[in-house]
Amino acid sequence: MKKYSILNSRVPRVDAVDKVTGKALYTDDIKMPGILIGAILHSPLAHARILNIDTSLAERLPGVKAVVTHREAGTTPYGVSPARYDETIFCHDKVRYVGDEIAAVAAIDLDTALEAVSLIKVDFEELPVVLDGRRAMEEGRPLLHDIYKNNICAEVHWHFGDIEQGKKESYIVRTDHLTSKMQDAAFLEPQSVIAEVDSHGNLTMWSSTQAPHYIQRTLAMALNIPLHKVRVIKPAVGGGFGPKASCSTAELATCLLAIKTGKPVKLTFDREQVFLHSRARHQFFHTMTTGVKKDGTLAFLDHQCILDGGAYASFGIATIYYAGSLLGGPYRLKNMKYDGYRVVTNKPACGAQRGHGAVIARALFEVQLDRIAEELGTDPIELRLKNVMEAGETTCNELFVSSFGMREALEAVRDSAAWKKKRSLSGKTRGQGRGIGAACGFFVSGAGYPIYRSRTYHCTVVTKVDDVGGGVTVSSGAADIGQGSDTVLAMITAEELGLPLDDVKVISGDSNLSVDLGAYSSRTTLMTGAACRDAARDVKRQILEAIAGVLCVPPETLDLKDGKVESLSGELDFSKIREEYLREHKGFIDLPNELCLTFREASRIAFLERGSIVGVGMYRPPPLGGSFKGATVGTSPAFGCSAQVAEVSVDLGTGEITVENITGAHDCGFAINRTQVEGQMQGSMMMGMGEALMEQIIYDKKGRIVNANLAEYKIPTAMDMPHLEAIIVESNEPHGPYGAKEVGEGAIMPVIPSILNAVYDATGVRIEELPLTPERLVAAMEEAKKKPSLQENP
Amino acid sequence: MILPRFDVLVPESLEEALEMLGEHADKGVRILAGGTDLLVDLRRPIIPVHVPRCDGCAKHPGGMVYSTIDCELWLSEPTAHAGGSLRNALQDSRRISPQYLISLHLLRELKGIKRLDNGSLYIGATTTIREIAHSEKVRRCWTALAEGADNLGSPLVRNRGTLGGNIANARPAADMFVPTIGLNGILKLQSLGGERLLPARDFASGPGLTVIEPLEILTAVIYPAPLSYSGSSYYKLANRKALEISTVGVSVSLTLEAPDGPITDVRVALGAVGPTPILAESAKGILLGETPDEPLFKKAAQAIRKDARPIDDHRGSAWYRSNMVQLLSERLLKIAYIRAKRNK
Ligand SMILES: Cc1cc2nc3c(=O)[nH]c(=O)nc-3n(C[C@H](O)[C@H](O)[C@H](O)COP(=O)(O)OP(=O)(O)OC[C@H]3O[C@@H](n4cnc5c(N)ncnc54)[C@H](O)[C@@H]3O)c2cc1C
Repeated sequence: MKKYSILNSRVPRVDAVDKVTGKALYTDDIKMPGILIGAILHSPLAHARILNIDTSLAERLPGVKAVVTHREAGTTPYGVSPARYDETIFCHDKVRYVGDEIAAVAAIDLDTALEAVSLIKVDFEELPVVLDGRRAMEEGRPLLHDIYKNNICAEVHWHFGDIEQGKKESYIVRTDHLTSKMQDAAFLEPQSVIAEVDSHGNLTMWSSTQAPHYIQRTLAMALNIPLHKVRVIKPAVGGGFGPKASCSTAELATCLLAIKTGKPVKLTFDREQVFLHSRARHQFFHTMTTGVKKDGTLAFLDHQCILDGGAYASFGIATIYYAGSLLGGPYRLKNMKYDGYRVVTNKPACGAQRGHGAVIARALFEVQLDRIAEELGTDPIELRLKNVMEAGETTCNELFVSSFGMREALEAVRDSAAWKKKRSLSGKTRGQGRGIGAACGFFVSGAGYPIYRSRTYHCTVVTKVDDVGGGVTVSSGAADIGQGSDTVLAMITAEELGLPLDDVKVISGDSNLSVDLGAYSSRTTLMTGAACRDAARDVKRQILEAIAGVLCVPPETLDLKDGKVESLSGELDFSKIREEYLREHKGFIDLPNELCLTFREASRIAFLERGSIVGVGMYRPPPLGGSFKGATVGTSPAFGCSAQVAEVSVDLGTGEITVENITGAHDCGFAINRTQVEGQMQGSMMMGMGEALMEQIIYDKKGRIVNANLAEYKIPTAMDMPHLEAIIVESNEPHGPYGAKEVGEGAIMPVIPSILNAVYDATGVRIEELPLTPERLVAAMEEAKKKPSLQENP
Repeated sequence: MILPRFDVLVPESLEEALEMLGEHADKGVRILAGGTDLLVDLRRPIIPVHVPRCDGCAKHPGGMVYSTIDCELWLSEPTAHAGGSLRNALQDSRRISPQYLISLHLLRELKGIKRLDNGSLYIGATTTIREIAHSEKVRRCWTALAEGADNLGSPLVRNRGTLGGNIANARPAADMFVPTIGLNGILKLQSLGGERLLPARDFASGPGLTVIEPLEILTAVIYPAPLSYSGSSYYKLANRKALEISTVGVSVSLTLEAPDGPITDVRVALGAVGPTPILAESAKGILLGETPDEPLFKKAAQAIRKDARPIDDHRGSAWYRSNMVQLLSERLLKIAYIRAKRNK
């Protein structure tokens, strides 16, 4: 591997000190003179017709500056996928879930705003509700939207290869099911928005968002403002994981209130509202039939899925495709059929969440592989190794994997977790309270296409050398939401220009700076990283050309390294430059006296020669994927893959599960920052563990969330976390900068199934419903005792 | 959810606190200890109209009795409590946002753990959960209470939360209240008129409801000195390893005449399986006077199971809870027995 000075290291993140000292400004920290506070009126009913909205009392309350409903907001439909614009800023005809937004208020303080909200009188005609996603499509169910026949918001029918042929070739065929629950992404920072309009009619919105560019477009469209008059700024963000990738009513309503009042308006979600707004993981009902040949070669997969998406489409069109397409890898699978239905129900809308669409599908498929291995009498890791794809192969649904460390990752976790030794024991101790399980994963490294149809560049980066010389400023629209993309951009720039990290300033997350599609689909390191590298190289070329001109040497003989200009062809006579620089800086104390030409001097002289030096980089993936309907979703310039071994112990009486160890390996192509790669892996392990064992949104019969808070919606605490080992695999991705590709989402893929497989090993029972609570486990163990004949052979 | 407006009064003596309580009784006043229950309860949910989740809570804009859902379930459970009277009690017992909170934090006489001359343990009401978890005295002789403290909330909550608050809040799952009943704790209740002592088991009258008088303050809990060959144990069953509300909590204390028995005293208290913590009376009938062994504990556990009156809610089904009461009772009887044998 090439030697780098800063890449592949463990430098601390550029925002670390500000964040740990409380200096970093999150949206809610921003103060402005005269700022008003906004509040939203949410529907108390899951499904009802709106007969009348009376805001007169609220308007008369002293301190209230504006009350807005659909009458002020209009009813321009918007959403995430242009084919399914099914939301309006406020409800006008119906409310479709408890929490649906009906009106908003701006007032002098929060108390007044909330009181005003409570004074808005809405007359409803209650309608019957649809809460069970499995039954939403049935004939005669109440309908949520006129445009969704039988409550079906989207359906996908794919058939690659020939599953009938696959069935003929199969030695073992088995069908399994897995049901999950709607999730909350449980990010630390609730959504927060500030909006302001200046005297030229420019709207600026600060928001805790993952995707300033998409939000800018939605604001412009739904509020009917020219795009260039809308600016979206992303201050420090405390996590997003998907739900902050789409435009929310909070954002739209706050902008509307700012327009109406002419004042800055702030609106910050309460934790309860984070749950009500949701846009997190769908509920999935998967059924898979998988066949393998006698030698363990995968023969076919026949897959059906119902996705309960809540009241609106949101990201759900992408979700339904991802749920099918990402089973194309990481194994050679020639024949695959997929029938997916995304239905709408009277619950908060679901959208994207880490591992978009693919997490539960992956979980079931990996459980199936385990069960098949057991039937075949082979080791589950060996079965997987037999089927893994290699770099250069294409899946049956036309996804090309240009680099692929799947085999390496599996072998790494197998060896590091002492799998062979422990597993050989578990054959004898199956069901005795300790277990070990394995699984793999596969994920995109950046969506191949934007959400709206366009040839747009996915990102551009502009790097400008300080006119005074010495440092550079990188500007990008990329959204650092806590995952560390600013650090990646700074490291890449520092590497290219041979600068210390402290001399690279990164400003980002502002739609005025550049187009960047945002932090979703694990795209930023590969895409914005590539653009950033090119911008830096552009800068470097310009500086070296200018210097070469002054020194009368060919530019190819010069390089930037360790803060200086290096000559590849003997000593340089740079006395002219030094003299000029010193002359310019008479009276300065800290002046260059090195025996070489410093970057500080070179960059200043380059400016004197040529004026401002600005480098531009941009990235747009090549056309990718097949030509079938929906072929674009799942495409990516590169694919990450991962493997994991989980070890658990189970109290066979109470069903309490303790995860003892997780060993994970992820192929990220090349680790720009090793600590950050591990951080993403560890975060994924924690999130996946929560989803496997404890997280679930619970609704009552009327569609109200029973546990809309972090006391009752359980995510793992520090006390629940096991020892984690994160192994980095580097396969050198040809399409990624320096060989890098994703780690943000792919690393979550194997977590749930490895735990499910380990719990099976520990208990001898399989659970088909997540989360795997102690109670479900006890129930399954009791059931198994009753009919031992139906259990798998231990 | 946001907090309503209120003023906090800070008395400097117990007497002053009791006077303030009397003075503001009609304006809505609540006692503030650590605030880890109270401030959560007082918050107003963000959907104003979704507050009346159940009849019993209709008058209350704040989250009642932990979550209004709990309340709804208990109300729909005829055997749990006579529905009507519970409803009324709920309405009367708690005002709409109180105007005043009376903070006990300056009252030194309410803090601390000490052993009384007769060997019993005296814990002031505002002693924090952390202090109890860290007290060697408590752990040695009143182990179940220490184990309750170990597993309450998280370090932050244990630093603030108090024994008195946990008991006065009277949640059926309360991790200090349940072992307090199991250890036969006696509550000291003070009013301007004087003081009264009340066994902890008689204190709760429903979820979040107690027989405390409006002008009384809980000042301390007294745990009788354990006799020789006594041992106790508490187990909190929950879904994650911290920050949890128990699905089931079981506290067992056992006294033997000699290391090999027979059993001379036993108290089994159950949490989260009824509208209040439950003292499982049937344990006594089976265990007293008997020589402990596994079949006996098994039989006792089966009987204890019948004392539980669990319901289905989002934390667990009645079926699971009943099973766990039996399983944990059996396990804890064994643990308490082993401990009892060692405690001369
Ligand atoms: C995140 C979190 C986790 C938690 N986890 C647990 C848990 O695992 N197990 C558990 O049992 N509880 C748990 N709790 C609840 C709470 O922390 C405990 O019940 C705690 O002991 C309450 O004590 P406090 O001093 O904070 O009570 P406060 O909130 O101050 O008071 C509670 C109630 O008691 C009344 N009160 C308080 N002191 C007196 C007194 N001396 N006389 C009369 N009335 C009084 C108050 O008026 C109020 O009604 C948790 C709470 C939080 C916020």
